[in-house]
Amino acid sequence: MGDTPPPPEATPPPPPPVTSGSPTDFLKNVVGKRVVVRLTSGVDYRGVLSCLDGYMNIALEQTEEHVNGIVTNRYGDAFIRGNNVLYISAAEPL
Amino acid sequence: MDTSAGIQEPFDLIRLSLSERVFVKLRGDRELTGILHAYDGHMNLILSEVEETIMLVDGADSGPSGQGIVNVTKRKMEMLFVRGDGVILVSPPSRT
Repeated sequence: MGDTPPPPEATPPPPPPVTSGSPTDFLKNVVGKRVVVRLTSGVDYRGVLSCLDGYMNIALEQTEEHVNGIVTNRYGDAFIRGNNVLYISAAEPL
Repeated sequence: MDTSAGIQEPFDLIRLSLSERVFVKLRGDRELTGILHAYDGHMNLILSEVEETIMLVDGADSGPSGQGIVNVTKRKMEMLFVRGDGVILVSPPSRT
């Protein structure tokens, strides 16, 4: 006893399965998926991303408007003008 | 069933709403509903039979939770040109 070997050096974890590619590739991958769109005003829109264009104008389906975490509106479809967009976040695994 | 099938780009959503009553969210806590007659790539809009809702939040009285909308003003306009840069969101009538 007393001769316990030091624990083996932990093998580095495999890199997470990041979908590699450009921002454009990310956007292509999230079309049809649930997303969170945050505007510069801080308002969030959660819904299914129908499509988007080069201005980052966005068409969302089944949209919920969240202000401070509270649902304030629901829209079947919504067009969001691109200049208001801060980020688009995937809300489900890609 | 799925009306989104024909949507290739976001402006298709607007095109499909021509002659329909739409909801428009504008900068400065303003909302409009009106019948959409025309639009362009800037999202300049021509609306008729418009009702504008202006939300004024009184910052002095609204406490830390600060959600109290103190004043909601509405007004109606027959015909309106909306400059595109004020537009945040356009929602067509629900197709249910």
